[in-house]
Parts: sequence; structure tokens; C-alpha cells
Amino acid sequence: MHFLKKESQSGVYNLFKKVLIANRGEIAVRIIKACQEMGIKTVAIYSDVDNDAIHVQLADESVNLGDPTPIESYLNIPKIIKIAKHTGSEAIHPGYGFLAENPDFAQSCNDVGVKFIGPESKVISLMGDKIAAKKTMEKAGVPVIPGYHGLKQDNTTLLKEGKKIGFPLLVKATAGGGGKGMRIVYSEDILEQSIESAKRESKSAFGDDSVFLEKYLDKPRHIEFQILADEHGNVIHLFERECSVQRRHQKIIEETPSPVMTPYLREKMGKAAVAAAKAVGYTNAGTVEFMVDGNLNFYFMEMNTRLQVEHPITEATTGIDLAKWQLRIASGERLTLKQKNLIQRGHAIECRIYAEDPSNGFLPSTGTISKVEPPKGPNIRDDSGIFSGIKITPYYDPILAKLVVYAENRKECLNKMKWALSHYVVLGVTTNIAFLSEVLEHKEFRKGNITTHFIDDYFKDWTVTKDGLPIDAIIALAVYDSIHTKREEIVRYKEADPHSPWKHVGRWRVGGRGI
Amino acid sequence: MFINYEHENHVYNVSIERRENYFFITYDNSEYKVKAEETRAGQLKIKIGERLIKSIITEGEKEKFVFVDGHVFRVIPVELTGKKKVRKKEEGDLSSPISGKVVNVKVKKGDSVKKGEVLMVIEAMKMEYLIRAPYDGKVKNINFKENDQVEIGQSTVEVDKEV
Repeated sequence: MHFLKKESQSGVYNLFKKVLIANRGEIAVRIIKACQEMGIKTVAIYSDVDNDAIHVQLADESVNLGDPTPIESYLNIPKIIKIAKHTGSEAIHPGYGFLAENPDFAQSCNDVGVKFIGPESKVISLMGDKIAAKKTMEKAGVPVIPGYHGLKQDNTTLLKEGKKIGFPLLVKATAGGGGKGMRIVYSEDILEQSIESAKRESKSAFGDDSVFLEKYLDKPRHIEFQILADEHGNVIHLFERECSVQRRHQKIIEETPSPVMTPYLREKMGKAAVAAAKAVGYTNAGTVEFMVDGNLNFYFMEMNTRLQVEHPITEATTGIDLAKWQLRIASGERLTLKQKNLIQRGHAIECRIYAEDPSNGFLPSTGTISKVEPPKGPNIRDDSGIFSGIKITPYYDPILAKLVVYAENRKECLNKMKWALSHYVVLGVTTNIAFLSEVLEHKEFRKGNITTHFIDDYFKDWTVTKDGLPIDAIIALAVYDSIHTKREEIVRYKEADPHSPWKHVGRWRVGGRGI
Repeated sequence: MFINYEHENHVYNVSIERRENYFFITYDNSEYKVKAEETRAGQLKIKIGERLIKSIITEGEKEKFVFVDGHVFRVIPVELTGKKKVRKKEEGDLSSPISGKVVNVKVKKGDSVKKGEVLMVIEAMKMEYLIRAPYDGKVKNINFKENDQVEIGQSTVEVDKEV
């Protein structure tokens, strides 16, 4: 406290004294750590299944939300606002997902005098409405993809407009994000069914069922630009992130720089991203997502008005701490970073560690994690929300951790990531770690030839084990069981089994044949 | 000591004996003489000739998880006596692929359905999973209603095959 006072008196900045983190998992942990470094007290919130979660252990205070159902816990605006007031939190950091892009939440914070760490409610509202966002961008001179963004949402209109755009086309939830409420439609006869299903998913995830349709691009890459904007009109971009490797329309591997980026294209896209942010009066950290086609034409896709999952790769290559800047900007500080002084240095990759089974349609897996041991080494960062003994429940997103590595160039970076993944121990639930390793090994990935179809093109029927249990695993198991079996059990076993190989014990001699 | 491990419907028969500083492992007509130590709980360092195997093992309720060379294997130790019955997944097995909530039931008992038709929609981790008819037939039973919690492996809908 004393330290904080001194700092604000010296005019450095007048930071919040206490911040509530309206999230869970790795991102809550990451934000709490940023707060701690800055001397800000933290308040964690948690549902009944997150009693022992790391964010709860780390925070200065923690408040129980009860019922783990998202709508009753991490999405419950009145509950969270009440806790913020009760704990005397001056600001709320929403993380990503949950309420991060909910304008009502930002507004509710504002109404009770708690600072929402992110852009203004009306900006979230505008950007969350993908239709209005595209119209705004078009006006600001940022290129957009052809499609139907109309307000008429009846099936007849949507079917007619869909046929007009042609196939393949994309059905997307207007309020969506993260692949939820999204369908690719390859032919007319499944259009109606896809629209209905997207609407239903969108209704349940975002409470709004309006959708839009747009042209589905050939060989598309997903490249996004990181933005930082202060509350005094200063906007900078922190270069691109290549996020093309996706499954179920959700990113799994991100890297920066993009293997396809040129200095010319970077400058053009960076300027467009800054223009996009300025067009809506954007403040705080945000991301402008573009689709880039095979001829390097780029189109504005959407703006994410939050800190992205993949923000650490930008932090690695620019040396800038985005979470801390979010806190500074929200407290009114000016952006002291200048565009011309920013440098992109080396190469960074992020792999998202999910509790899911890649050999079974990436279905989420649940259970108890019996052991976790992340890799450690130079330039390896593990943003994690898990520990040995944690239960993975079906209530929330299956992300467990984010592994981020940094190296001088792409090749070194891939080698480092490969090493790190092969030393990442997660036992008890099925994860995508072995799958990520194989993606990194793929020759097209190595060459940087990636599109958003990469996983579907090359890993459609991937399975984990082709050759069964390897001999090393068999030996390790046998040794383990030998060490951990009590003597009496062995004796009983011997007597019980008439075919016991103990009868052949004479075959073995001390100092016998090894290999 | 004689142990059987089941991994993905295969059973591996292994025997191991400990003599002085060595473990002798027999598997598939080969003998392996190794030196091993448990450096930390569940963490093994095994020397086999000049080669080193590093492995981490944990135990679940009935299964064991082995981490070796960047891969994880899930095995179930099985009883020595009695043949292992391998339960094959039936063609019409409509067990839930995931634990989640039923958000939509598309059919009623007695409905005729076509192969590929969506029967039930289950939501977990904000994703939708569709239970589809495996063949043309008639709905015999619907085991869950909207908003019910369904666990992985539970039978969702039963469909009689059309003959």
C-alpha cells in the first residue's frame, strides 16, 4: 500500500488498488499475476467445481458463485457486480470468453462505478454485432467479404440470400465468436438445417439467435493484428498473428510472424487495423481479425474486443506485456509506446493444450488429472490453470494450458516447441499434445503452407497409436508394478495361478542376458 | 510376478522378477535386463543396456497412465485368469460421446427415422453434438428428455432397425 501511494504521488500512474477477475482457468491466473507484479490486490470468483482452482489460491480474496452452470456463475452479471461492490473492487477484468464481450456487462460495471477493463459498452455492442461492424468497416475503407448481413432473419430470406451468395458459404452467429454458432455449408440441401442448428447453438451460447451468411474463401488464412488504444486517442498495432491452424473453427496453434507476411503487406494490414480501431473509438487491447486469401488479398472479418487467448506470442516477439497495459490504459494512463519504436523480434509459437481427443473428433474429455508436469527451459512459457489432482468438468471450455515458446527464427522455434511438447506431462485425461506434435512435424506446416483447412486436409482420420503399446511403456509399467507390489501379494499370486511363469524362474539368472 | 495390461483392446502379457539390482522383464519371447530407480513418486529412470527410458506413471481408479517419450498411454491391468471379453461397439449403439446436457430431442417414441437423421442434440462445453440414426428404423426408446444431464457412454436413443 505504501509503495503504491508513493508511486502515484510521483505521478507515474494512478493504478487501481483492487481488481476483480471475472474469469477462471489459465487466463484468470495470468491476469492475477500481472496485477500482483503491479501491486494491485485481486479478487477471484469461482463456481462450486472450481473450489480448488489455481486462480482461487492465488488471489488475495475469493468469492464463491455457487452453481457451476455458466449462466449461474461466470455469466451471472448481477452476482458478479454485487461481489465487485461488496469487495470494494475498483475495476473488473473479464479475461476472454464468458462476459468479456458482453456489452450489458460493461454497461452494468459502468453504472455502478466499477471500471470495466476493455472498451466502452457501445463499442463492444457495435463490434459484437458482426453485421453493423462490417458496415462500419466498409465505411472506414477497410475491405470486407461479400455476404448477407441483413436484419431479416426468417428462413425464407436466409435461404434466398444464401443461394444468391453461392456455395460453399458460411453461416455465422451475429453475436458469435470462437467457432460457436458457425456452420460451413457446401450445398443447398443442407442450408436450412445448418441455419437452424447455428441459431440454436448461438441462442444457447450468447442468448441471441441472429445469423449472417458470407462467401467462404478459397485457401484462406486467418491473420489478425493486435491493437492497443489508450483513452486519449492514441492507437498502435503490435503486428500480426498467424492463426490458420484450427479445428472446429477454433485455433490450436498460433505463431508470429506469419510465414506469408511481407513488410509491405504488414504495413498495409497494420494501417487498416489501426484505422478499424479508430473508426469505432476503440480503447484498451483488441484484435482485428482478417481473412487473407491465396493471392494475399485481405478482408476484415471481425474485431475481438478483449485480450486474446494467443496474446503471449505477441508479448514474446515485442517484449510488451499486454495484460499490464490493459490495466494501465483502463486506469487512464497514456500509451507511451510509439508505433515507430516497436520491433518484431524472432519467432514465437503457441500451442493450446486442450482436454480433448483428436482421434475421436476432438471431443472434450473429462476426468481427474492425476499428474501435470510442464516443460521448463529457456524461452518456454506455460500459461496454465491446472495442477495434479484437478477435476476437469464438462461445464466450461476444455482449454487446460497454453504452451508458448520463443526462438531466433521459425525453424528454431518449431524445434523448441517439439521438445517442449514431448516433455509436457499430462496424465489422467486425454489431451491433444501428441496431436500438436504431429502437426508441427508435418512437412506442409514446416514449410508454412497453412490455411484454415489444414487440419481437415491433412489430419482428418488421425489416430493416436498406430502400433499399440511400445516396449518402453511395457517395461516401465512392469518395473512400476514390481516396485509397488507388496511381497504378500506376489506370494498369493504365485499360489493362485497354476500357469504362473514363476515356474520358469530358473531360466533367469542374475547377470543373465540383457539387451 | 506375472501381469496383463490391456491397451486399446489388446492384452499384453508381461512377467517381471527383481533380483539384486536388476529387473528381468519377459515379454513376447524376449528378455530385458534393466536397472531402474523411482526418482520421485511415479517417476522412473530405467537403464536398458546403454539406453535410458524416462517414464512417469500415475494410477487412476482402475487404469494406469504411462508417459513415455512424449506420448501418453492408458492401460488397464487385467486379471490373469479367464479370457478377456472384447466388447465390440454395436452398429446401432447410440451411446453419448460426451457428458453434457440434452438441449433438443428431435423424435418421439415410435417415429420412423431415416439413416443420418438427427435424433438428439447434446451440448457440452458450449459445443453441440448430434446423435444421428445409424440406419433406417423406428424409435424404440428415448432415454433422456430436454435439459437432462447425460453422462459419457450412456445410451441416448434406441432405434429398431427396419427389416
